[in-house]
Amino acid sequence: MKILGISAHYHDSAAALVVDGLPVCAVQEERMSRRKNDAGFPLGAIDWCLDHAKLEPDDLDAVVFYERSMLKFDRILTSALRAFPRSWRSFPRAIKNSLGEKVWVKGVISSQMGVPRSKILFTDHHASHAAAAFLTAPTRRAAILTADGVGEWATLTTGHGTRTDDGTDIRFEREIRFPDSLGLLYSAFTAYLGFTVNEGEYKVMGLAAYGRPTMIGQVNKLIRRTSDGAFVLDPEYFDFQTAAEHSYSPKFVELFGPPRHRYEPLDLESKEGQRFADCAASVQRVLEDMLVDIARELHRSTGLPDLCFGGGVALNGVANARILAESGFERVFVPSAPGDAGCALGAALYADRMYFGNPDREIPDHPFWGPPADGDELARAAREDNHPVESLDAPALLDRVASQLAEGRIVGWMEGACEFGPRALGHRSILAAPHSSETRDRLNRDIKFREEFRPFAPVVPRDVASRYFDLPPGGARLARFMSGVFPVRPEWRPQLAAVTHVDGTARVQVLDRDMAPALHALLEAYGRHTGIPVLLNTSFNVAGEPIVTRALEGYSTFRRCGIDLLVAGSTVVRKRTTSASPTAIPMQERVASWV
Amino acid sequence: MSSPLDTFLRPVHQWVWGDFDRRVRKLLAFAEVETDGGRDILRASELTPDPLLRRLYLEHAIDELHHGVLFRERGAALLRVRASRSAPLFTGNPLPGGHGLDDLRIEGEPDHRLLAFLHVAEKSAAGRFEIYRRLVDDDPATRAIFEQILRDEVFHMNYTYTQLARVSPKSYRWQIWRARGSRLWKRYLRIAAALGDVIGTAMIALVYFVVLPPFAWAAKRAHRVEGEGWKPARTGARDSAASQY
Repeated sequence: MKILGISAHYHDSAAALVVDGLPVCAVQEERMSRRKNDAGFPLGAIDWCLDHAKLEPDDLDAVVFYERSMLKFDRILTSALRAFPRSWRSFPRAIKNSLGEKVWVKGVISSQMGVPRSKILFTDHHASHAAAAFLTAPTRRAAILTADGVGEWATLTTGHGTRTDDGTDIRFEREIRFPDSLGLLYSAFTAYLGFTVNEGEYKVMGLAAYGRPTMIGQVNKLIRRTSDGAFVLDPEYFDFQTAAEHSYSPKFVELFGPPRHRYEPLDLESKEGQRFADCAASVQRVLEDMLVDIARELHRSTGLPDLCFGGGVALNGVANARILAESGFERVFVPSAPGDAGCALGAALYADRMYFGNPDREIPDHPFWGPPADGDELARAAREDNHPVESLDAPALLDRVASQLAEGRIVGWMEGACEFGPRALGHRSILAAPHSSETRDRLNRDIKFREEFRPFAPVVPRDVASRYFDLPPGGARLARFMSGVFPVRPEWRPQLAAVTHVDGTARVQVLDRDMAPALHALLEAYGRHTGIPVLLNTSFNVAGEPIVTRALEGYSTFRRCGIDLLVAGSTVVRKRTTSASPTAIPMQERVASWV
Repeated sequence: MSSPLDTFLRPVHQWVWGDFDRRVRKLLAFAEVETDGGRDILRASELTPDPLLRRLYLEHAIDELHHGVLFRERGAALLRVRASRSAPLFTGNPLPGGHGLDDLRIEGEPDHRLLAFLHVAEKSAAGRFEIYRRLVDDDPATRAIFEQILRDEVFHMNYTYTQLARVSPKSYRWQIWRARGSRLWKRYLRIAAALGDVIGTAMIALVYFVVLPPFAWAAKRAHRVEGEGWKPARTGARDSAASQY
């Protein structure tokens, strides 16, 4: 059976193809269109998935959309009615937005893909999250928790799942509904702190480490516990239902002070910068406490040792680590794409198991479902530009790259299929030596072009991970897809300064050889050179752009920033040394020799 | 180099650049526009089959992205000296698309059309930046940015013309006229869409105030009786896989 899953129209659109119960490919639209968090209908991703599997739309048995769009419209309309007459400004925009395309999903899919309407199915938004988390995890029975901004009505659900030879069962027990939402609470702070909502949440998490949770009292005015262990947001502090521009109200600003302008540099040495960091630390702490309590109750009620956690909130690695440590669950599984993009895969798997009743299949435990990188394409472009190109066999390549890394060079690393999800997990990474804070500053300044407070993540082979990082039981599993933040062991912090955050932690990736053999071998080779088989691993992109997909995209990124060495497959490209950055010389002079 | 329209609009430009807040807003909007434009051209460099154009587009994109940085840094520097921070100065990007009012689509666009588009857009931008440069005489740092960008834009204008003549030697003049026509058509569409948007907003607002009050009353009443906290899950409980409800 061939099932295509689609998520679209809000943020981070994606498509995923499941054939006979197993994923064949999955890719976010942004990786195809090169527009960060592309929310458009994922035609590029769909085309690639079908091409990759050599299928025509007619060959598909079903196309599954990741949520029920009319139910979502019902929520938008009802919320506007509840907020009458304060919603008068946002109402026309919400209606035009929904009626323009979003509620006609069936027609859009049918016309864009040419599939009959009878083949188009829908799942609940949080069912897609749950399926993405549970059906891809190596567990047969688990509690399920999903949390995000909002789906149709639900913002957080709890339940449990069972996979047996007789079939799959996913049951939801309870849910919390809009407007009470942990994701929206966090997003309101994201906007308040001057970051882009649905993109900058991880910056809030990074910033939190620089602050102290001195404003928990104020945050608790925004979110109140209910007697049954849930929570409600005080609508006076939010503008989800009335304003179109941002989600916090004037009363929120009265409580926390003036918001940060998005273009204003964040100076953590200043009083104002510290206030913003304290805000971030406070909301982060409240979020963690809420999630831990909910997870603890879920563990108590299900009695299961495993938790599968999905939804955008599951990208919060600090909270995930606390759930693992404090909730009673022995293992916590977070998929590589817990957000809305992952819903494309979740929707397809949910339909396969739950709607069609197909037998359970073990899903390969890796995130590499996207388009491949072609080393020949890279070699061709680099030769045209007179950059030194080499084609090396695997041992020579690993030795070359490891020695270059040990000498302080920064490497763009592309291998095989790209990752599905927001994290670079070893196939589209920028790698560097993790030892010096100067490397971190150089990466932020010359390569990623991003804020200096942002931390970088390490990658380490599983068998030596505990030597460098303080991993609790189950920590290595949570760190498989970089979903947990754990302490760097104090004795190693000076040698791992580039990947140790200000609070002594790191969002470490613990790598199994089976998942990314080439990167694993590189870590071992690097360990032979330096004695420490740990590398700094950050996504292969610059600020504001999606992670690179094709080799040529990696090459154009390499040309524009301070990466020294670029690798795709067996091709290695070294940057020609220049005395000045490209923009220091007018284009007229830069191109004079070859135009 | 300025177009007659820009010369005609000079008082408007003066009004924009004469005010500190509007100047900051404009610089930050330009930062977005130049950055988006740079990414579009970068995409073109990744897609073109022509090796020379790939290299030129890439260098061009580097310039545009750098212009974005210059505008952003200048805007941020002015923002720091701005006394009042009570109201948000800027939300969103008022100029959609990578080239301001031009909505550039890279995928599927042949090089000759893209070059013609870039040539016309760069020429127009150069004319406008020339005016802006003169209007910020009181602000040497901003003026210096416009001077640098203007030099770059002139080169971009020239190389796109030369390359257009190379890739489309028989019809390059026609391509430029076509690009001009396309720009005009897109402007018309944008104005028409904006007008339609205003009319649509007015009609929906009318419906909101005339038709919705009783439904709003009912919705509020229903909401009051709904308890807070956990609810039994509706997720996963709906019967039909084919239903959007």
